[in-house]
Amino acid sequence: MSAKPKSVQLPLPGFDSALSTWQRDYASQVGEEPVLHNRSGIEIKPLYTPDDWPASRYMEDLGFPGVAPMTRGIYSSMHRGRTWTQRQLIGYGTPQDYNRRLRKLMDAGVTAVSLIPCNSVYRGYDADEVDIELLGTCGAVVNNVDDMQVCLDEIPIDRVSTAMNDPLPFTLLAFVLGVAKRRGIAWTAITGTSNQSDYISHFVANHMFLRLGLPGNRRVLVDEVDFCQQHVPNWNPVSIVGQHMQQAGATPAQAMAFALCTAIQFAEDCLERGMQANEFLPRFTFFFDISLSFFEEIAKFRAGRRIWARIVRERFKADAGRACRFKFHSQTSGADLTRQQPLNNIARVAVQAMAGIFGGTQSLHTDAYDEVLTTPTEEPSRIAINTQNILREEAHLTDVIDPLGGSYYVETLTSQMEAEIEAVVGQIDALGGMYRAVESGAVQRMIGESALAFQERIENGAQKIVGVNAYQVDESAHVSPASQRPAPGTMENYLQSLQAYKSSRSNKQVQAALSELQRACNTVDKNVFEHIVDAAIAGLTHGEICACLRRELEFGQPLVIV
Amino acid sequence: MHANGDGIPAKVLVTKIGLDGHDRGSRVVAAYLRDAGMEVIYTGPWQQIPAVVALTQEEDVDVVGISSLATDHLIVPKLMRALRDAGLAHVRVVVGGIVPDDEVSMLHENGVSKVFHPGSSREEIVAAVQQLAEQARCERPEI
Amino acid sequence: MTDVAAAVDRLIGGDKATLARALTAVENAYPHAAELLEALRPHTGCARVVGVTGPPGVGKSTLCNALIREWRTRGHRVGVIAVDPSSPLSGGAVLGDRVRMHEHDQDDFVFIRSLAARTNGGGLAASTAGAIVVLDAAGMDCVLIETVGSGQSQVDIAGVAKTTVVVSAPGFGDEVQALKAGILEIADVLVVNKADLPHAEQTARQLRIMLGLRDAQRWQPPVVMTSGHTGQGVDQLAEALQEHHDSIVTDTPAATQTHTVADLLRKLASEDPYVRHLGIEFITGGSGHASVRMRVQPSHISFNGTCHGGALFSLADAAFGLASNSHGVVAAGIDAHITYPRAVKVGDVLTAGAVEETRSRRFATYRVIVTRSDGATVATFTGTVATVGGARPGAPQ
Ligand SMILES: Nc1nc2c(ncn2[C@@H]2O[C@H](COP(=O)(O)OP(=O)(O)OP(=O)(O)O)[C@@H](O)[C@H]2O)c(=O)[nH]1
Ligand SMILES: [Mg+2]
Repeated sequence: MSAKPKSVQLPLPGFDSALSTWQRDYASQVGEEPVLHNRSGIEIKPLYTPDDWPASRYMEDLGFPGVAPMTRGIYSSMHRGRTWTQRQLIGYGTPQDYNRRLRKLMDAGVTAVSLIPCNSVYRGYDADEVDIELLGTCGAVVNNVDDMQVCLDEIPIDRVSTAMNDPLPFTLLAFVLGVAKRRGIAWTAITGTSNQSDYISHFVANHMFLRLGLPGNRRVLVDEVDFCQQHVPNWNPVSIVGQHMQQAGATPAQAMAFALCTAIQFAEDCLERGMQANEFLPRFTFFFDISLSFFEEIAKFRAGRRIWARIVRERFKADAGRACRFKFHSQTSGADLTRQQPLNNIARVAVQAMAGIFGGTQSLHTDAYDEVLTTPTEEPSRIAINTQNILREEAHLTDVIDPLGGSYYVETLTSQMEAEIEAVVGQIDALGGMYRAVESGAVQRMIGESALAFQERIENGAQKIVGVNAYQVDESAHVSPASQRPAPGTMENYLQSLQAYKSSRSNKQVQAALSELQRACNTVDKNVFEHIVDAAIAGLTHGEICACLRRELEFGQPLVIV
Repeated sequence: MHANGDGIPAKVLVTKIGLDGHDRGSRVVAAYLRDAGMEVIYTGPWQQIPAVVALTQEEDVDVVGISSLATDHLIVPKLMRALRDAGLAHVRVVVGGIVPDDEVSMLHENGVSKVFHPGSSREEIVAAVQQLAEQARCERPEI
Repeated sequence: MTDVAAAVDRLIGGDKATLARALTAVENAYPHAAELLEALRPHTGCARVVGVTGPPGVGKSTLCNALIREWRTRGHRVGVIAVDPSSPLSGGAVLGDRVRMHEHDQDDFVFIRSLAARTNGGGLAASTAGAIVVLDAAGMDCVLIETVGSGQSQVDIAGVAKTTVVVSAPGFGDEVQALKAGILEIADVLVVNKADLPHAEQTARQLRIMLGLRDAQRWQPPVVMTSGHTGQGVDQLAEALQEHHDSIVTDTPAATQTHTVADLLRKLASEDPYVRHLGIEFITGGSGHASVRMRVQPSHISFNGTCHGGALFSLADAAFGLASNSHGVVAAGIDAHITYPRAVKVGDVLTAGAVEETRSRRFATYRVIVTRSDGATVATFTGTVATVGGARPGAPQ
């Protein structure tokens, strides 16, 4: 390099005078402008400076990855050490269909098993109890241990983690344990998560199922946590689903707050059972939605991590470092995808995924672009996984830990989201905790109002959506991908195999397991989940187990609020 | 205010049949119709088809709106048959939610008046329901 | 051209579609509504009409749901009118009450109809009163009306219901306090709902104190504790409603003696298998008089397509029997004569009133007039009894 060009060293202007100069220039260029708010209602300024977030707050607000306040991530190495788990939630057709699809996805780079069961399973029924037209159309029909064995054929369940979309009473987990037993795999080797164990979010969002009344749910969840601690110690029995809340219309801040309050509720219930916070809290996991509100989502995750670490230490006096870790799976939001010009959804999903990665997610599901048109089909699903691969391998998003940390905007927003989330947590506390707040419908009302307010922003054009209220094109020629439906006869065959399964069982064994389960339900200090596992192994089907619980523990009624 | 020609508000049943419970959309639509001056019966998810028929009859509604975000639209033909069998052929049925393009015509063939896809605007929904309600009123036996 | 007569036949024959459309006609004041109501009037009078009101969220709908269940186990047919407020801005409404009663959606003997209050029209009372006529004529044994207890509608309900239930719940003290004046005027039965929650007993006590301020009068409203969720106390509520119903049909001024005579006659009627078989209901009675009521059923019809004379005779005879046995001594009929000036049809509601004309130590004579609900006389009956025994055990002196 040649000598530096001579430059005249002008004195730097002072911060304050420079700021007011910029403010004047900005105002003269932009003029009157409407106040901007993000989805959580926080006002967004045009510029952030050390006035908003001075670096002197570094240790207090950020610290280092893996230690409190946890803002920068829950592990010291974060994605640089080990990237997130690529978890594509799939489920369709029969157990055979599912197994074929799972193996294909694993060849394509998916590193963990996940299973979405048919909605009939969510609702607590066997395949022979619902309209045949609906079977296997949005999840795999899995009704018993045999089915699960087919689903997991050739999958090394002692080595890959197995996430089950398995709402209470966790029959899918029971079936997995049954399969492990048949294959001679120790339950201590089984890893994974009960992905939909959060009955509170299900109750609030009416998402997919309703089987038991709230009191029965409350009991069986604690039973499951207790059972797993003793017998399946590497399983995460609890996944708190902020995603349901946000999909139902909660703002990102509300969704985070409701998830935290739910976690508090579950923890308190476990403590009441006599369990130790240091032992069960490390196995609490969370599941969130990632909307397109890019910075807001990143701030949501960073703030949530910070608050959870504080709750664990202050409310529950748990000191184990693992207990403070805010482990979460995240999924790009289907609510932000559009039917119009559906390929645009690929771009949306990429941005959402980036927010999840910058937010420090432990596990990520990216939506297929056709999710809003039909149950996702094969090519769109592959593109969704490759979106993750591209972000990691080609865009190098994982080279640096918490790369947005220290941004004046992101740090300010993180603190503001934190305050907003804390305020909602305070509201729920005042209502007597999450259980009470959903029982009375208070949470549902808050969510309903937010959903309507957001929809209003779209209606009045404040929120632009490409292809919907802006940049529309004529789409009359457009045809979405052919919807995938089980081939004619498939489900009839499945029903026959279910019938065969039922008649091949030992009647005596089935009856004995059923009456044991019944007794457990009606005996206060019995662990109901332990008997569900026994019943599943003895050959009871999902529908039979659910029917027994509905009878003995009271059926749940939806709380309908407009 | 969106009243029918005779000044009487349209009466609409907003409901969900089948297995899925996602009710954000149906709640928003119920609020839209209310704010447009209609009288809305809202049930929440998981209604049995015979119960929907009973409600349609007892409440003497003009339009039934079915929200379907999973695949519950696949049993809408069963509902249409049940409504016809109960002598309620004049009642207009609309479906909103995720309905794949290649299954829309199946719904129309079974008598569904309109399918609303995600992204339908408030205006579009309100106007269509209003018009269908008026049609239903015209065809409905007076007593 | 609307064929009102044909519609009336279908409606009293149990056709649900006609019932639904008749309610719409009344609600919207369609041109043929007045004629329809007029034509239905002869078929009314059997239903007991219970209004349920109270502040928003006390659990009225949930309680109605439980009460319907209780009434169904007692074999009653139930009609429900659930009134929800209309939005003052748009005029629209979300009618949410029946959601809580959905377990009855598929019960053929329960008919639920939601009404928007349509405050701008101001016709709530009119359309509710009309809806009651329609449901009564359609053969409902009980008609339940739910309204939000605020402002005008609360007063309206007392005007149309025979029994008004005011519902409160723990934590709703302030709202009830605010409604106090109105509530004390209209409540026939007070309910503390959500009794499964803490402090229900306290709420009940407050209500009793408030009631203490009310003028002593014939009917002292009981305070019943219920839970719409668990069903606790709902049978007591049904009992309290029954008692109030009995007290209003026995509407002779506060003479304790006639009151106990009425009790005796009610007991006699309820123990008479033939009277029960025909579906004859005791209404009121006292020394030397009694009245009973019956809805004409398809099984009462003769080959001429009108009510069988024997059924009419039986109805008149039931009133005659009760009136003649009202003096505490056993009396038996020895002669009777009937004339039928008018034909009677299925679904008509008939009332027979018997009055003593002469009475000696051995004999007494009675005149019975049978009227239809619209006031038309359909039969007159005269009869004579002989005193055959001594004092009836348990009869008042
Ligand atoms: N704990 C308890 N909650 C109840 C009971 N009855 C109703 N609720 C709850 O109270 C809330 C309101 O119940 P509703 O039956 O809709 O009350 P309502 O008085 O009809 O309300 P409006 O029609 O809106 O005025 C719901 O969340 C019910 O679940 C009860 O007996 N116990
Ligand atoms: Mg109500």
